[in-house]
Amino acid sequence: MNLIKTINLKKTYITGKDITTDALKGITLEIDTKEFLAIAGPSGSGKTSLLNILSALDMPTSGKVLFENKDITEKDINQLADFRLNKIGFVFQSYNLINTLTAFENVEYIMLLQGRPTAERKDKAEAILKRVGLGNYLNRFPNEMSGGQQQRVAVARAIAAEPKVIIADEPTANLDSKTAGLLMDLMLELNEEKGITFIFSTHDPMIMKKAKRIIKLKDGLIEK
Amino acid sequence: MYTQIKIAWRNIIRNKRRSSLTISAVGFGLGALIFLWAFVDGAHFQMIENYTSLLCGHIQIHEKGYRENPKLELYIENSDKIIKQIKKIPLIKAITKRIKTAGLISSAESSAGVTILGIEPDKERLVSSISRHISSGKMFNKNDDKTIIIGKDLAKNLNVSLGEKIVIMSQALDGSIAAGAYKLAGILNTGVDEIDKGIALISHKAAEELFYMNDKTSEIAIRLKSAEYVKTASEQIKEKLKMNQNLEISTWEEISPMLQQWIEFDKGFIIVIVFVVIIVVGIGILNTVLMGVLERKREFGILLAIGCHRREIVCMVAWESIFLGIIGTIMGLLLGTSISLYFSHVGINLKLFANALNSFYIDSFIYPKLIATHILFSISSVLITSISVSIYPAFHAANLNPIEAIRSV
Repeated sequence: MNLIKTINLKKTYITGKDITTDALKGITLEIDTKEFLAIAGPSGSGKTSLLNILSALDMPTSGKVLFENKDITEKDINQLADFRLNKIGFVFQSYNLINTLTAFENVEYIMLLQGRPTAERKDKAEAILKRVGLGNYLNRFPNEMSGGQQQRVAVARAIAAEPKVIIADEPTANLDSKTAGLLMDLMLELNEEKGITFIFSTHDPMIMKKAKRIIKLKDGLIEK
Repeated sequence: MYTQIKIAWRNIIRNKRRSSLTISAVGFGLGALIFLWAFVDGAHFQMIENYTSLLCGHIQIHEKGYRENPKLELYIENSDKIIKQIKKIPLIKAITKRIKTAGLISSAESSAGVTILGIEPDKERLVSSISRHISSGKMFNKNDDKTIIIGKDLAKNLNVSLGEKIVIMSQALDGSIAAGAYKLAGILNTGVDEIDKGIALISHKAAEELFYMNDKTSEIAIRLKSAEYVKTASEQIKEKLKMNQNLEISTWEEISPMLQQWIEFDKGFIIVIVFVVIIVVGIGILNTVLMGVLERKREFGILLAIGCHRREIVCMVAWESIFLGIIGTIMGLLLGTSISLYFSHVGINLKLFANALNSFYIDSFIYPKLIATHILFSISSVLITSISVSIYPAFHAANLNPIEAIRSV
């Protein structure tokens, strides 16, 4: 079943006086539930722009994005915020944890925003962190953890929200190859275990190999 | 809403250094304001007390027209009856009567113009503190019609000392010359030129005889339990005496408009200081809160990205400011009131400025006085300011572009 569908998606950035950049030139694709999908391509191919639009962080210049058959481009700013909170999980390249919260608190935070009860938040945060192999790191702050550990916390935070899809923009870019591989394996396990769709961008061939499907972008278009 | 409050509280706890900075700005600002206002209120209280207790009293009763034209002919009839009528007003502490007129005082060597005051010493000491300013000699008793008390500067001008004879001359009620010789029984040292140079005290009995003012008096002076009751007591006295249309009842403010104007000027000045402090505190808080928002740009970007509503960001920053404002206010209140209370007991030593202060009826030691309405005004002003200045940073944080904010360092 289609989880996400894009129809002729275009994105143009105005970067200066009369200077425009066409980041996406007409992307049409379909993504099903439980997919483990890589968006691959060199720098400047439009990977981040596409992921920003799929995750409703940004809006296309033209075209549609259907999520569970509903056009998210017609949502207002608050509806988009709710959409991201409840349907999308984020794993950023630079981990983007809140530095003054512990691993446990970072994972709990998103459930706090969702308004979940205290007991549920605490039990779930602990369980998820244990699942990603950080059961002994609950009270560590991000600056007390390695890059790989921080990224695992980011994955745990993304899962805690119980999203339909987790979007990860170059999640392994700041990790060494061994750690990157372990992270990808974790994400694959969670994909199979929980049925969450994973969409991640990469230009690393080793990471691409882990994906069940690859969409290659070049100059803002899908390479055939 | 509860979630936002909880998150806001956590943010304050986790950023101890930034929170302490903001709380300190609010706390010290408010503490300084409370103390400054208490200091000024204490000085005002002293001014009024010293002025009214020296000779004036809180309220005076005269025959209509006397204040514009203080002559013997405008005397009060049946003063004892009037005193009896108003004596039972609970706010009144003590009442006395005085005969007052201008005259000439002479010694063997010199003479000078004076105000001659005929007083009832036993009642006068309950209304004014004049008898406590006798630096040498002693106060006469009420039946004594042969002695006189003058100020130290007048005594110096006349070159007289205790026990020597002084003559006073004036015009009696019937128009005849009133002259009398009195023995100098005491010398006043009040520090107030007007009194030390220009007043001569004799007993009310002696003044009645000298000026043919039997059973008559020029003024009735009243001391209240506190200067705060002046307006209320004045109205109650007017009510009691409303049948007597010939009397005018004056408060100390009407008798000495200049002192009242000094105090009003000071009050205006303190309001300016309040606003300056509020602006400074406001700028301090705005600076800290805005700095905090800019430092947390990436964090706000992440929150917006993962699904936090913009209004939730606004609420979060606003609640943080509310908490910081409340804690800072409590700190400021404790600081300001404790320092004020301490100095209200030990006093603030301003001996260096004694001469200048005395001319405003202020002593060298000032005792700050806390007034509830002023404290409340200070608290509300600072609290409202600390919350209001968070509005701009809150909206700034809420309107960040999450993609750009996440990329910021």
